[in-house]
Amino acid sequence: MNGINAYKDPKLPPPIEVADGPEWVEALTILDRDVAHTLLAAARTLYPHDGLPERVYRRVILHFDRMASHSPAAAQSFAEFVDRADATMPLPFRELSESYRVAVLKEMETSAAFRLVQRSTVRFLYDDVEVWQAFGYEGASVHLGGYVARGFNDLDWLPEPPAGV
Amino acid sequence: MTQYELDDAGVVVIIGSGAGGGTLAHELTRRGVDVVLLEAGKHLTAEDFVNDEWGGYEMLSWLDKRTASGDWRVARDHPLTPSWSCQVVGGTTTHWSGCCYRLIADEMRARTVYGDIPGASLIDWPLTLDELEPYYHLAEAKMGVTRTNGLPGLPANNNFKVMYAGATALGLNASTGRQAINPIPYDGRPATIQDGFTVTGDKVGSRWSTLNVEIPRALATGKLELRPQSRAVFIEHDAAGKASGVVYVDAAGTRHRQRARAVVLAGNCVESSRLLLHSASGMFAHGLANGHGNVGRYYLRHIIQTVWSVFDKPVNMHRGEIMTGMVDDFVRHDPARGFAGGYYVELNSMGLPTTAAFLDPGWWGRDFAGVIEQYAHMAGMLLSGEDMPQAGNRITLTDELDAFGVPVANIHYDEHPNDLKMRSHGYKTMTAIHQAAGAKRSIEAPAYPASHNLGSNRMSAKAEDGVLDGQGRAHEVPNLFIADGSAFATGGACNPTLTIVALAIRQADFMTRQMAAGAL
Repeated sequence: MNGINAYKDPKLPPPIEVADGPEWVEALTILDRDVAHTLLAAARTLYPHDGLPERVYRRVILHFDRMASHSPAAAQSFAEFVDRADATMPLPFRELSESYRVAVLKEMETSAAFRLVQRSTVRFLYDDVEVWQAFGYEGASVHLGGYVARGFNDLDWLPEPPAGV
Repeated sequence: MTQYELDDAGVVVIIGSGAGGGTLAHELTRRGVDVVLLEAGKHLTAEDFVNDEWGGYEMLSWLDKRTASGDWRVARDHPLTPSWSCQVVGGTTTHWSGCCYRLIADEMRARTVYGDIPGASLIDWPLTLDELEPYYHLAEAKMGVTRTNGLPGLPANNNFKVMYAGATALGLNASTGRQAINPIPYDGRPATIQDGFTVTGDKVGSRWSTLNVEIPRALATGKLELRPQSRAVFIEHDAAGKASGVVYVDAAGTRHRQRARAVVLAGNCVESSRLLLHSASGMFAHGLANGHGNVGRYYLRHIIQTVWSVFDKPVNMHRGEIMTGMVDDFVRHDPARGFAGGYYVELNSMGLPTTAAFLDPGWWGRDFAGVIEQYAHMAGMLLSGEDMPQAGNRITLTDELDAFGVPVANIHYDEHPNDLKMRSHGYKTMTAIHQAAGAKRSIEAPAYPASHNLGSNRMSAKAEDGVLDGQGRAHEVPNLFIADGSAFATGGACNPTLTIVALAIRQADFMTRQMAAGAL
């Protein structure tokens, strides 16, 4: 552990709940379960953090599900992404080993569907408070008095700048 | 709040409540002028703001569609949001990081000092630094800029310690710089608690904004009517060619026409240019004040880029004020560097969500993952430098209409060779600073959606070179003014807000003198 505690702003809604078992897909409202599993494999291939639990990637896919339910165009792009990812090799995308998954994604890089999946994974994965905690981003601070007494100047491995510089 | 009738032709109508419009509203009303301030966004308060990067972005940003073209990387990375400003009472002063540097004399004489640069359309400003300096003083006092008016500098934070160690090892001059953020209580506002969230609205209020300083004081004069959620869609003129009113749409979708004694556009570059281009008529066939075809042209967005570096030990750059550091060795024009103009290196931090999003949009895979996992060990710096005005870099109208029936704007930008030379020089400088402090890896990150939007309705001594005279008044429409960064004749290197505020104070002086003389 890195000894920090990460906080979301208390005014914001809590993280999406996600089940630990395979029943997590029951929370999907619009995405097909095969599509969701393939997108999950894509998210883990795009941003592979071996130390992160599966549930943070599942939350990304539940965000995709919300996007798809708000936007038919997004739903269409997710479906296109999965169709293309599955059509490239003799195995479905999510059954491929990592190097083959990477190769498939590289081939798709210039497509609008890839762009949506890649950008949206960044948008939601690195906005997850469990990821913040893992990577040392403490987040919201005003409700805790800011960082003025919580380490805004505690770096001690370089010389201290002269006062008033 | 005071209310004015829609057919009251005695009011000055200001469109936009940010650094220029919000300041001008205060400066006019305290001189006794009646003002209606139209703001497209909502009137939020500190209570509404969140300490959350995406939450704040979605709450404050102007997210209406725009399109982008040209060879700038922003067109590829952010094709529908090439420019970044805010749609909220207070405008982009609800978002800014508070850097307050002055233009230098050479920058205001760019054509004379830099010479005739092929492909660039440089001009000198139609005013000198000597004329602007008294207003810089007034702006710094009202904004509470550190290291002015007896205020100390902000203290060194973790990210600055890295910058300082690297810069001093290279013999460069680093300091925590000047910001409109209180190191100690000032002007009724508290000292910073180093929360690191000025960019999402500043819940604490230690940073100057028009939302927390200028607009409340303007309202207290009894001379201001603030109309939030009022989207200006057209500027009308009379038979004599003077601006006569502004058509706007309220929150309920109802259209109104506010008559006006004078109209001031302060909607940031893209919106001010878009509104002028759209306000075409028989007399102004190509848009208001656009007889020379210069509205929207010479768009500038500064040379903005970031270097993020990874260190062996923790930095925790997210703790504390975001931009409290600068290196000013490269500000002055020096032909020996091989390019014209100069740049500031400024401290910059971001939280994990936006560091990941802007590190290199489109980058994925194990290499990216290995870098971003070390977020707590990352330090950052941003470059703000002068880009070259070019005739082809411009805001134009597309065939697509927005929800209000106004054409969506396109922003075209091609980088000038001088821009690319400065970018390369700047990346080398910033990387060298971090390497000198022990960085094990440095990443050259590209520009974000443009937040220093400048120049597209520029001031010029000669009408054929720009849109406005030296008071920010349209060459072709004597009671039409602009009070935002689009008025800049050239971009200079520094963050533009302080200059926008100084120009707005000066403009208020001019407008009230004109009114007293019966000329406005």
